[in-house]
Amino acid sequence: MQLAVNILVLASIYALICCGYVLIYRVSRVLSLAHGELMMLAAYGLYGTATLFSGHPVLAIAAAALLAVAVGIAVYFALMWRMTGESVLAAVLATIALGILLRGAMILMFGTQTQHPLRDLGWTNASLAIGEARISSVGLALLASTAFVYGGLAVFLRASRWGIRMRAAGQHPLLAAQRGIGLHGVYALTWGLAAFTAGIAGMLIACDAGLESTLVIIGLKAFPAALVGGLDSLVGALVGSLVVAAAEVLLIHYVDPLLSDVVPFAVLLAMLIVRPWGLFGTREELDRV
Amino acid sequence: MRKVLWTLLAAAVPLSTAWAQDAYVIGVSGAMTGPVAANYAPVVEAMKAYLDHVNGRGGINGRQVRVVVLDDQAQPSRAATNAKQLLAQDKVVLLLNASLSSTYAPMIAESKRAGVALYYAGAVCPKETYPPADPLQFCSTAFGANLDSQAALAFIKKSAQDSVRLGLAAMAIPIARAEIDYAETLSKTLGMTPVEKQISPPPAPDYTPFATKLKDANPNWVWSWSPWVSQVRVFEALRRLGWNGRYVTWAHLNAEEELARIRDAEFYVVGTNAFMEDNLPIHAEIRAVAARAKLEHPVSYLTEGFVAGLVVEQVLRSTPWPPTPQKVLNAMNNVKVDMKGLRGGPLEWTRNNHFRTRQYYRVWHWDPQGNRIVRAQDWQAIDVKR
Repeated sequence: MQLAVNILVLASIYALICCGYVLIYRVSRVLSLAHGELMMLAAYGLYGTATLFSGHPVLAIAAAALLAVAVGIAVYFALMWRMTGESVLAAVLATIALGILLRGAMILMFGTQTQHPLRDLGWTNASLAIGEARISSVGLALLASTAFVYGGLAVFLRASRWGIRMRAAGQHPLLAAQRGIGLHGVYALTWGLAAFTAGIAGMLIACDAGLESTLVIIGLKAFPAALVGGLDSLVGALVGSLVVAAAEVLLIHYVDPLLSDVVPFAVLLAMLIVRPWGLFGTREELDRV
Repeated sequence: MRKVLWTLLAAAVPLSTAWAQDAYVIGVSGAMTGPVAANYAPVVEAMKAYLDHVNGRGGINGRQVRVVVLDDQAQPSRAATNAKQLLAQDKVVLLLNASLSSTYAPMIAESKRAGVALYYAGAVCPKETYPPADPLQFCSTAFGANLDSQAALAFIKKSAQDSVRLGLAAMAIPIARAEIDYAETLSKTLGMTPVEKQISPPPAPDYTPFATKLKDANPNWVWSWSPWVSQVRVFEALRRLGWNGRYVTWAHLNAEEELARIRDAEFYVVGTNAFMEDNLPIHAEIRAVAARAKLEHPVSYLTEGFVAGLVVEQVLRSTPWPPTPQKVLNAMNNVKVDMKGLRGGPLEWTRNNHFRTRQYYRVWHWDPQGNRIVRAQDWQAIDVKR
């Protein structure tokens, strides 16, 4: 039972992070390698708002989430907008440069000391019993957030006007533009949503384990899960995260904890051999990459 | 008028060079930024602030100390460039390293080429500093491989009322794994039963899977020796899983602050530096110097840097003017530094031992009744012989 809970919590972390990779890639064909930095920036945002709105944790979280969306949109208009029409490689390199810039800026602004946003919010990470297993309250929040994000995105992409526009822009940008869809608005919204989901992941990880610069590496660790599921599929991101998390937790428990670092990449390698476009990805998309 | 200004400026250039050479010049390559900067930047900044404070009191032997700090971001290539620059351009008489062990090799190579001593301050002491020591490498950093496990396991043995079922936890980095392997072997000779050893990668998104396996082995004590993040996250995950045993771990720079955050009576830290809680006269000096230098780090992070500052001060005091790398080396080979209570006794280097001849350990934990940090064990000395 405890192993199942551990798998679900780890899968939630990976799924929340992967969501942003998939959203941006699916809509704009850009692989964002600044995702870990956006996660960390949002976590620092929470640290800032927790101090600013001391005694009002819900307000602090809402403000940090809005800030994350605003940062995503700002990144698009300040940088990625200029990459429209350029090669995919140029856009990817731009995200790498953005990541380096953000990392340096965060060290200058916030220093290198570990911060504890959960303490600043005035909350504790209590342990809750589920049958014989236990889960931390932040772990439970991770599960709930993943369900909320993926459920919300499913409804948004299928039922809302902007969601349908995003799907159209992702499928065929030229046709979408000819039908009157403003691509810049759609792409900006996508970056905003990706930064929001990355931000939720960053904030929750920081609440659970403290906020420090290694958060960026965790952002990259989730990337194999997105590829296993299929880089252009949200369902794939969810399933890929579950597969990678299950492999990781089970190997830690039954074989050797040292394998946990290589498991995601071993699963990815196996997937690339058997089905290079991922579990739920489309073959056509792989050809484009 | 312009001609006069140019003449004055031209005259000032050689004068300023002469001033620069009229000082003891030491050079530091440290991880001032980058992912691991939190472990090293406070040490370098505190040491520099202390030496500035010494300069303010008139310097050493009537001369100023100039500290050149270069950032290597814990990257070996940058450390190599820094060492070259410090030796060739700044003509330092002493090289300092405050960075990851991956930066050691290029700095050792440059130090050997130039015949300048290399002093690890805040960086892990390499085995070459232990007896029989490498002629050019010295170290004052608090933690010491094998000795720390000896001290921790001795504390566990002394404190345990029942037989010890020992869990071990470390981060998957070579130095931590080697130490935990050593502790596993040592525990058997002390009559303990090692029940599980968990090695987690740096960093893990969630430490619960590692803690689950550790808890399932049912240890009543756990010893962890790693970077702080790994030590404390495994402990917190264990507690959330309902484990109620005792956890002993190494006191890193942030240990005092973290003990007050965690507030768990059975969470012990073993260390060699006194805590600010002791409120010694030197602690008042640390607070004053930190305030004057406007250091951003909490004062409890600065002890290691002050230890380095005291060592450099004593070494340079024993170095007759004009300083040369050889004179500094001679001074370092026979130095005894009064730690003013920051450690359990003086730090002594000999020609054969560049680590220290005796290492002193204390153990602290949180006292819920008194709502403060208290000592679980006072200074215990271990002679460094190997």
